[in-house]
Amino acid sequence: MPCERKPMRYGHSEGHTDVCFDDEGKCIVTCGSDGDVRIWESLDDDDPKSINVGEKVYSVALKNGKLVTAVSNNTVQIHTFPEGDPDGILTRFTTNANHVTFNSSGSRVAAGSSDFIVKIVEVVDSSQQKTLRGHDAPVLSVALDPSDEFLASSSCDGSVTVWSIESQTQVAQWKILQKSSDVSNAKSLCRLAWQPRSGKLLAIPVDLTIQLYDRNTWTHVSTLSGDLISQVVNVVVWSPCGKFLAAGTIGGNLLIWDVEAKLCIERQKHEKGFTVCGMAWHPSGGRIAYTDTEGCLGLLEGVSSLSSSSTVQKTNDYDDLFDEDDDRMLDEGMSDSRSPVKKPIMEDDDDDDDLMPATGRPRNRGSFLDDDDNSQGMSTLIKEEDGSSAILPAVGPAVSRPVYEGPMPTQPQRAFQPGSTPVHLMHRFMMWNSVGIVRGYNDDQDNAIDVEFHDTAIHHAMHLTNTLGHTMADLSQEAVLLACEGNNELASKIQCLHFSCWDTHKDWIVDLPKGEDVRALCLGQGWAAVATSALMVRLFSVGGVQKEIFSLPGDVVCMAGHGEQLLIVCHRGTGFDGDQALGIQLLQLGHKRRQVIHGEPLPLSRKSYLAWMDFTAEGTPCCIDSEGVVRMLNRTLGNMWTPVCNTRDSCKSKSDHYWVVGVHENPQQLRCIPCKGARYPPTLPRPAVAVLPFNLLYCQTTTEKGQMEEQYWRSVLFQNHYGFLSSSGYEIDSEGQSRAEKEQQELLMKMFALSCKLEREFRCVELAEMMTHSVVTLAIRYASRSRRMALAQRLSELALEKASQCQEEEQEEEEPAYQRLKSNMKNVNMEKQKKLKKKRNLSVEFFFDDQITALYFLCVTACVTASREGRVNPFKVRISSSSPAGQPRTTNVLDSMTMSSRKPAPISGTSKQGKAPVLKPLAPKPKSKMSASKGNSKKLEDSQSEAEKVKPAPAATPPASAENIENRKPKTGFQLWLEENRKSILADNPDFEEMDVIKEGMGRFRTLSAEERLNWTERAKGDSDPKKRKREDEGQVDEQMESNEGSTKKKKPLDTSAKLSAFAFNKE
Amino acid sequence: MDPAEVEFLAEKEMVKIIPNFSLDKIYLIGGDLGPFNPGLPVEVPVWLALNLKQRQKCRIVPPEWMDTDKLEEIREQERKLDTFTPIPSPYYMELAKLLLNHSADNIPKADEIRTLVKDIWDTRVAKLRLSADSFISQQEAHAQLDNLTLMEINTTRSFLLDSLNYMYKLRSNLQPGRSQDY
Repeated sequence: MPCERKPMRYGHSEGHTDVCFDDEGKCIVTCGSDGDVRIWESLDDDDPKSINVGEKVYSVALKNGKLVTAVSNNTVQIHTFPEGDPDGILTRFTTNANHVTFNSSGSRVAAGSSDFIVKIVEVVDSSQQKTLRGHDAPVLSVALDPSDEFLASSSCDGSVTVWSIESQTQVAQWKILQKSSDVSNAKSLCRLAWQPRSGKLLAIPVDLTIQLYDRNTWTHVSTLSGDLISQVVNVVVWSPCGKFLAAGTIGGNLLIWDVEAKLCIERQKHEKGFTVCGMAWHPSGGRIAYTDTEGCLGLLEGVSSLSSSSTVQKTNDYDDLFDEDDDRMLDEGMSDSRSPVKKPIMEDDDDDDDLMPATGRPRNRGSFLDDDDNSQGMSTLIKEEDGSSAILPAVGPAVSRPVYEGPMPTQPQRAFQPGSTPVHLMHRFMMWNSVGIVRGYNDDQDNAIDVEFHDTAIHHAMHLTNTLGHTMADLSQEAVLLACEGNNELASKIQCLHFSCWDTHKDWIVDLPKGEDVRALCLGQGWAAVATSALMVRLFSVGGVQKEIFSLPGDVVCMAGHGEQLLIVCHRGTGFDGDQALGIQLLQLGHKRRQVIHGEPLPLSRKSYLAWMDFTAEGTPCCIDSEGVVRMLNRTLGNMWTPVCNTRDSCKSKSDHYWVVGVHENPQQLRCIPCKGARYPPTLPRPAVAVLPFNLLYCQTTTEKGQMEEQYWRSVLFQNHYGFLSSSGYEIDSEGQSRAEKEQQELLMKMFALSCKLEREFRCVELAEMMTHSVVTLAIRYASRSRRMALAQRLSELALEKASQCQEEEQEEEEPAYQRLKSNMKNVNMEKQKKLKKKRNLSVEFFFDDQITALYFLCVTACVTASREGRVNPFKVRISSSSPAGQPRTTNVLDSMTMSSRKPAPISGTSKQGKAPVLKPLAPKPKSKMSASKGNSKKLEDSQSEAEKVKPAPAATPPASAENIENRKPKTGFQLWLEENRKSILADNPDFEEMDVIKEGMGRFRTLSAEERLNWTERAKGDSDPKKRKREDEGQVDEQMESNEGSTKKKKPLDTSAKLSAFAFNKE
Repeated sequence: MDPAEVEFLAEKEMVKIIPNFSLDKIYLIGGDLGPFNPGLPVEVPVWLALNLKQRQKCRIVPPEWMDTDKLEEIREQERKLDTFTPIPSPYYMELAKLLLNHSADNIPKADEIRTLVKDIWDTRVAKLRLSADSFISQQEAHAQLDNLTLMEINTTRSFLLDSLNYMYKLRSNLQPGRSQDY
């Protein structure tokens, strides 16, 4: 449809209403049963002017600055317009008037009352009255002829009468309406209307149709109807040009006819289907205002565009319908089926009463069925339908005009200060942020600004008189920044109250160049920024020194400052279909100036606009759109925006909103003010801040898995600021950070345990990849205790990688120390190598001769550790670290890991404790072993295809048993094996040195199956000197006792795994 | 029990305040309080709230029931029913008195609330007296009174118990022969 129906808005309390435009059409004037007349600047006017004129107002008319109202105290009053001052009582009745109207010149007012009387009063002299008596029931409506000759009135007695004003006699009368006892029982308000200017036609709403009567002959000329109308017509109004007629019906239908063509050119439905009881056509003809019995006001826009469309002539001969006027009553009875609202005859439905109990004004009512009104009902009905069907195709061309149907551009949103309520409010928040509150009062007595600080330690509260008319404000720990837009005389000004200043001049004012207006402003630490209408951003120091200026690519929407960061949101272009096209820039001021975000699009929900944008207390940009979705910048994800919360989810009703005042990352808090039925809170009573939790929009958060994932990622996201803060040189709450890390690792471990339980081993490895090295060892333990060897194997590989990564990181940290380490490992530096050999010899002497080879590696690492730490005796270290770890043949990394992680308590084996020194020396060893086994694995295939190689996957090694055996029978098995295989290793790699051979050997030995290894150990047992073995065993046992102290029970795998799993699931 | 003692007990009730200072958690025997963030509501016991209020360190957020509409409803209910209606807070009288005396500026419509609470109190105490009267006049052995608050019980306890004792004495003196009946 070409004309647009604006959404209804609340105008008055429930009950009868009336509406009219002022002469110029600037204002809409409505009245209602609450006794108020309201003057609306537009439909969106949130603050209409209200004039209380009485207890109830039944009708309102406006002309020449006189507002005439029919009030429940039985008077017709005049008020001045637009001031609304009472200007006397025009006339009185014995009961209330139902309808008042002006004549076209505005000199006379006609009023029809429930005491059956119609009065015509001169506006200037209310003593000159003409009284028209003749109706036998309350008068429903009156209409004055444009040429001031006649007056038409409709009444509950079922008649429409035309009076000659001069002679005060009846000129014509038609009994066409249904009779009713009172206005409240009448089916229709039956508002009459004369055609403007000529006054040639009088339109009368009769039941489902509108009948037109000719002025000269007082005969019925035509009927406007159609099956489009299914309910009784309540109100009719002519367009100012006299070509169109608009009607409003009981059921909320709004129809517009081209009278000449008798075409219904427009049809709209009230959004809730309430009865339309007041209509007014804008003087320019472009729009129609209407009100309903629920007190709502609506507007049809773009009605003027219709005028061109209705050119099709209708040539129906209406002469034969001429006599139909008497048949209306029967029609109505038959058409009941078409109008569900309507109930036949006297059975007045009480539901209707409930709809508007306050007024009891006329509306859809059953009425008396006159016995004599029945002759040709059927035929009329049929004819009517003929007529309408003939009309229908004619409507077609009107609709199918070429219309642009693509996406419509959106009105770009206006600049705003985040944390402020709209400017047009008299009492508003100019700023509410984490520092304090700036309130603006702009009413009759006062134009002032109140500044209040949440923390009174910052500054005491301030009260300023707002002489400059500031509309924008920002507040920081140092200063208050205020700004006003300029007008013709005064330039736009920025005022800064720098209260933390140590000299006596605590404020400064800057005028912007002529024609440049402040649009948005913000304060940072030691600076202020102002975006202007000239698409520029001006930076100032907080003391008032002008600094850089730069241009913006589009109109600014808002700005925010935090520390040295400046955030600017501006329009990037035109949005379509309700979307905004916003771009965001993030600048780093201060010493290292740079642009972090270069005007990338700001993601918003569909058809929403930006509602709030600021930094969190920790300095991460955060934005909220009008749909209530909170998004936070994810610096670790390439500055993408992650939605972290939807405030609408916590709203109880659809019209409730949360007005956000601050976001904190640690603790995770979204501070906002709940607003019932509004977007903004009122200043009084003082709103209370509520705290909402964040909730990442992850899938399946009802399940345990989804919950933990959400928690984990939320924790990660809200921990990002630590990295940012430390990188930009701020002090950080390291305790909080480690707490967050610990929480994350705990969550990972829980998820790991859960996946383990669900036998999702691949997922377990994925989770382990996210863990820190130390937690992986815990995971390995968990896996091995729950007898998932394949998983444990994979995890151990992963642990090695992690360890090497750890090492690399450490290397970066302590470059020189590690350089040496590295060279040792790789045998690049021969000198070092020799030194090491010496050390090895020492250690060999200290230990047993036949163990040297296997021990060698550990010695190396121990030495390295010793040299790195600089104070530890290498031998000591070697003993303590190597022996409990199942000796050098810790072929399975798992074992060594398990052992090492035994020291810290299982739960606290996260982050910090995880990096306990016990692990560090072990780390490089597995790494090299890994690389060796990996690097040679291919070559080994051939050589190991001997008899010993029927092994299953190395993962099949049951570590627990292996460990036990190895603990009992250490060292010698590998030794023997190596002896045998040395040749083949050397054959493969002739250039290998001894150390490499051992490495290689260890790698190969590791790949042997458990049985084979067992074999070797058995053989070794047989071969080796029993004495030696005994000694060795004793020594080992002693060492074990020493190092493990009381905690030797860990040898029982079942027990531990039970404990471990208990931990994992208790925590869930 | 002294009314002051009842009031003392009432001071343990929690109430929301909006502090205007910043302070970490404080650890007390009765439990941890805080942390206090300026501008952010936090729950503290009434005694602390009043103390902070007196030092102008906070604004007190009145409890939810301290609202004219809700109290009016309760008053109507109280007047309509013969029994005692459940009261939103077991210390309504004490809290109303304490909060209204010390932070009337933070409570919208403080005077109306004062009147309403007084009305409710009067109604309830009148009922209590009435029931005590009928209890005695009908010489009942026991009676059940639900939804009474500590303060209300306290107002009538000493008097009621003493008078019952006296009456018992008087009666047993009057009718020495039939004293076993009681």
